[in-house]
Amino acid sequence: MAEKEFSVYMSGVGGQGLVLLSNIIGAACASAGIRALTGEQHGLSQRSGSINVHMRIGDGIRSPLIPVGGADAILSLEALEALRYIEFLKPGGVVVMNSRIQHPIIETTEHMKDKTAKYMSAEEVKSRILQVTDKVSVVDALALAKQAGNTLTENIVMLGAISTLEEFPIPQEDLRKSVADNVPKKAVDVNLRAFDLGKEEAYKGLCNIVKCRK
Amino acid sequence: MVLADVIKDGPAKAFMLCNEAIVRGAIEADVKLVSAYPGSPTTEILDTFSEAKPSFDYRMEISSNEKVALETCAGAAMVGLRTMTSMKSVGLNVASDSFFSLSYTGVKGGMVIVMADDPQAHSSQTEQDGRPFGPNAYVPMLEPSDPKEAKTMVKRAFELSEKFGVPVLMRTTTRVSHQSGIVETEKIERKPFEKLEWPHPPGRFVTVADSARKFKLELLERTKMIEAEFDKSDLNAVTDTGSEIGIIASGAGYNYAVDACKILDISPSVLKLGTTFPLPKKLIGDFLKKLKTVIIVEELSPYLELNVTAIAKDANPAVKIFGKWTGHFSEALEYNPNIVADGIGRVIGKKPPVDYAAAMAKADVLKKGLSDRPPTFCPGCPHRATLHALLQATKGTKHILSTDIGCYSMSFLPPLGYGDSLLSMGACMGVAAGMQYAAKEKVIAMIGDSTFYHAGLPGLVNAVHHNDDFTLVVLDNEVTAMTGQQPHPGSDYNAGNQPAKRLILEDVIRGLGITDITIVDPYQVKAAVAPIKEALGRKGPNVIISRRACALYADRNKRRRGEQILSNKVEKEVCKKPYTCIRSFHCPAISIDDDDRKATISKELCDKCDVCAKLCPFGSIRPREGE
Repeated sequence: MAEKEFSVYMSGVGGQGLVLLSNIIGAACASAGIRALTGEQHGLSQRSGSINVHMRIGDGIRSPLIPVGGADAILSLEALEALRYIEFLKPGGVVVMNSRIQHPIIETTEHMKDKTAKYMSAEEVKSRILQVTDKVSVVDALALAKQAGNTLTENIVMLGAISTLEEFPIPQEDLRKSVADNVPKKAVDVNLRAFDLGKEEAYKGLCNIVKCRK
Repeated sequence: MVLADVIKDGPAKAFMLCNEAIVRGAIEADVKLVSAYPGSPTTEILDTFSEAKPSFDYRMEISSNEKVALETCAGAAMVGLRTMTSMKSVGLNVASDSFFSLSYTGVKGGMVIVMADDPQAHSSQTEQDGRPFGPNAYVPMLEPSDPKEAKTMVKRAFELSEKFGVPVLMRTTTRVSHQSGIVETEKIERKPFEKLEWPHPPGRFVTVADSARKFKLELLERTKMIEAEFDKSDLNAVTDTGSEIGIIASGAGYNYAVDACKILDISPSVLKLGTTFPLPKKLIGDFLKKLKTVIIVEELSPYLELNVTAIAKDANPAVKIFGKWTGHFSEALEYNPNIVADGIGRVIGKKPPVDYAAAMAKADVLKKGLSDRPPTFCPGCPHRATLHALLQATKGTKHILSTDIGCYSMSFLPPLGYGDSLLSMGACMGVAAGMQYAAKEKVIAMIGDSTFYHAGLPGLVNAVHHNDDFTLVVLDNEVTAMTGQQPHPGSDYNAGNQPAKRLILEDVIRGLGITDITIVDPYQVKAAVAPIKEALGRKGPNVIISRRACALYADRNKRRRGEQILSNKVEKEVCKKPYTCIRSFHCPAISIDDDDRKATISKELCDKCDVCAKLCPFGSIRPREGE
């Protein structure tokens, strides 16, 4: 049983595998005997739009939606989407964000008209988030996913990274088992490699700023 | 989709989406026939039934629309089988004609109708509140608040349906349907599928005139009996803390109210309603008697508030009732814990520890310059190409575009901003008929193949009969794309991969009497312009079919066959920055390289539809090789 409550606001772009990620975390909770619930987005909004999943762990929680200022962490599969939901972060909460940016097409359309303009960068996103918390970690999930053997495993790289947090309440072995159970059979090894690479990366970066598991 | 958990025998604990839990509940309740048309937020019910079908013996159809789906369930339930259909609230509008009658005739086998409202209109044309369907049709209505309850309630709904011979409505909202949580599964005990003898005398399910009047009196009695049962039902729950303040809520509103009380650190008494028609008036009255203040937490219309106010008149006229009428809560948009905490806080004079408005204002400052990311057409989407060709073909000519419900509805969003009207499934042609009488401009109606079969056919029949002058563009992408690429009458398979008869779109249209049919391939984007232009120049009604499979569907099939999804790239030496690919095509795989201001294509996102390559005046977009 989870004594402490833990809410992760997960965000990304439609098509990045956010719902699979929440299923993996949820199934790991089920096998570990931890109560978890989510508020998910399906349907129209998934068409390359901004998407979010509210992941909530704890015995007393009823609402699938995290209140403003109620997220212990933001896990973002795309850099801009980390900033988009920043109001949900608790003061001093943790942000683990992918460095990859998918430029919204309406941003590119505007960008085309102004020769001097630059896209908002991951560094810019990080510096803005640093104004509300000092615990921001940027992960190059695409590079690690490539290293693992499949660019579609960015979501699992990010899961590996956040799983290192001391306050992340799900045991590693349950998470690994859930990854193996929930991805296609032929992709299990690649995904577990992605998970481990995400973890290793976190021990080099994230864990220097936040307390991590030993 | 965690199919394994849905089909695995219990008892066990599994993390399930509410829609999956509903399916699991129906399977445990030995449902024998399922029929539905997809619609968010209920689609995963249909998808899960479809995927689980090979493991069980229930019969299933992905119907052409919700009305047919409901009628299919009704027919089998008249014979005596347990049946289930699911639909979004606006789907019940389509099915409502039979829904009302079915309450009169009743059913023999248990029949459950899952209907999901969509506060915030996440994926819907309106924020319609479906709850009035219950009282209006005298159909009992249950409301779960999470996956665990939903599974239990489905089973109870089947029992209730058979006990009183009436279909039962199970009403959810998006944040209940799309909530995942831990569900306890039970043992699956199913009887083999068997056809039954028709057990009824003639006229048993005929409702008109005399028989309708007889049925009406019976259903009033039935409703009274159900209310008496609901007054004692454990589907409703009272948490009596002895407080003078109480909260009445159901479904998602209950979830937010519980968390809001924690945020505010208060312990009011709570009445959680699981049966929202007929309302348990005695239970509500008894709850009100102990209170000085009651707060109603419900999204959308003041359905509970209105009824509680009426019940309080006798039960406790002194109780102060707070809700939408007092301005503490809105009838618009979905709630969340902070909205409800603010509302309850204002009633009791206590502020939440977080100043939500200030937190959001601070976040807005940080987000300055952050681009919005509305949903858009996927890389490779044939609709984007069709819309480009259509805009080219109509360049310089004034016209009105009467569009319809599907992914192509997004054409009205930025950056395209293309489309003049959109009402409901299949409405484009009726609206176009009216426009061609009233407007000077050329009228174009636009509809997808699934929507055409769903509710578009009567509109086209009408246009042919009256010789209405508009051109219909049918976007034929082989599947019901927006809800997740389900098969439809134009597919050669159906639920659970059963073989099905494929209707040929142009044959259907020709059969209705239209001979002026133009078929184009949107991927041949330049070649498509002239035939579209010519067709638009002719008198209607005529039809343009733009045919190319949904990119997500085609990609999934490619992956199944072990084929790679290829991609294009921009030859930087050739690119002269005309930005044609961006300006006229708006593909999310294309962006601008900040180093040289040239277009660049994301290898991960590109689908290699080659449409941008065909549009580029310098031919700088070429296959990505050897990377």
